[in-house]
Amino acid sequence: MNGEAKAGGQEVKMMKLDDLLQRNVYDVDEEPHIVVDYSKCDKCPTKPCVYLCPAGCYTLVGGRILFSYEGCVECGTCRVICPMDAITWNFPKSGRGIYFRFT
Amino acid sequence: MPGGSTPQKFDVIVVGAGPAGSAAAYLLAKKGFKVLVIERGRGAGSKELYGGRVYAAPLREVWPELDKEAPIHRWVRKERISVVNGETVATIEYTASKPVSFTAYLPELAGWMAKKAEEAGALLVDEVRVDEIIVENGKIVGVRSGDDRVYADVVIDAEGANRLLLEKLGMVERASPENLAVGVKEVIKIGGKNIEERFGLEPGEGLAWVLVGVTSGAPGGGFIYTFKDTVSLGVVVHLRGAIKAIESGAFTDHVYKLVEGLRIHPYFRKLWADGDIVEYGAHLTIEGGLSFMPKKLVAPGFVIIGDAAGLLLNTGYTIRGVDFAVYSGKLAAEAVEEAFNKGGPTEENLKVYEEKLRDSFVYKELVKHRGIEKVMKDPDFFTKYPAMLTLTLGKLFEGEYEEPTILEALLSSAREAGVPLLSSLLKLLWVVRRL
Repeated sequence: MNGEAKAGGQEVKMMKLDDLLQRNVYDVDEEPHIVVDYSKCDKCPTKPCVYLCPAGCYTLVGGRILFSYEGCVECGTCRVICPMDAITWNFPKSGRGIYFRFT
Repeated sequence: MPGGSTPQKFDVIVVGAGPAGSAAAYLLAKKGFKVLVIERGRGAGSKELYGGRVYAAPLREVWPELDKEAPIHRWVRKERISVVNGETVATIEYTASKPVSFTAYLPELAGWMAKKAEEAGALLVDEVRVDEIIVENGKIVGVRSGDDRVYADVVIDAEGANRLLLEKLGMVERASPENLAVGVKEVIKIGGKNIEERFGLEPGEGLAWVLVGVTSGAPGGGFIYTFKDTVSLGVVVHLRGAIKAIESGAFTDHVYKLVEGLRIHPYFRKLWADGDIVEYGAHLTIEGGLSFMPKKLVAPGFVIIGDAAGLLLNTGYTIRGVDFAVYSGKLAAEAVEEAFNKGGPTEENLKVYEEKLRDSFVYKELVKHRGIEKVMKDPDFFTKYPAMLTLTLGKLFEGEYEEPTILEALLSSAREAGVPLLSSLLKLLWVVRRL
């Protein structure tokens, strides 16, 4: 999916989400601050987290949700939208996680 | 004035060193209160993310030295509003005679506000996540982090839009997608000279740009702000609307693709061509502040301010959060001082905060603009109406031989966009009267 769009000879590139997240500064905790109960995800018909988690922490692998917390930007969207109450959500402890600079 | 504090006990604990928390802490510390500010991030500001613009006047009431000292990037002289429909774009531009708002990186600005509070005598402890507000005998007496407990006569909750603590206390319902939106943004570095050339700005001047029609049919919008040498671009998507759009199949891609769509859009991409993306992030924001507001903003020994209190206004063309937050912090500081003078921070004595807030521009603005809640629940405002406007302009300006009258163009565009004219006109009138 890594294409390029030309504008008057100038380049604006398409980016993978992972490459965007690479631009951020994190101090990732060893322990996840979010815990997902996959047994509830299996029963979820819409899985809005796959579309709406801005950091793409929720992906579909073989039709099942796979969660990874490392790129989390701590927005809280998944906690609010989960229709199955499958997410135990907290902020990272001890100053860990995302470190915003220009936002 | 309070008195008789032991080393472990504070007069006031503020949870969260954002704009609201730091304003309250600064004013209370200046009055001689013993204030502890607890921040979960590494340094104040490191968890802050917003669109990019702050209205200055309410902040000057707290920090008259704001214009001279604060890390201000650009004073906003130009406002643009664009309706986007595919590749077509209709734009209104307004150049203000005198700027009333500025752009800033919120991590920097919140860092400055927290430093002000520290200089005034507040103690800031960072890298500490508050896990619970401690209640004893029906009164709030302190906070707990892990096994550590700290006590105070008053706890000020400035925890932000994710109200884990208030939910645990039972003072608010579980967070709902009805009154929350997610803002997702990129920051692209292109250099100050490029910003001024590409956006038509004088040195030091800034631009704020609001976009409609960039959210794949979900209620929301887009934004562009200029900073010293970067541009921020992003989208805000109403969460309930997005869930509905996913269910109806209108929303088929990841939310970051909406920001990417804006970044590579043929009309907009020239503005940040050859730039470097230096950051990507997201944050929840409140839609319809009054419905997000807790029923009570005070309890015995407890005051709620900022986003946690639902004090953010998004009218669609302006977004006011930081100034509302700071102002609520100021009102809370005044209320706490008055409560101490009246004998202590009982609920009765702290209620003056609610009264002050209700009499302030913050609450009045939220009431005045409550029509926006109806807009956010109606996808027509984000799909059909933008389409109708750009189709109409297209018919007026893209006729190679013949050009329709304005009425002909409007009527045929309404038909093409699927807009029933009369009922839509009534709806628009209803909303416009309440914006």
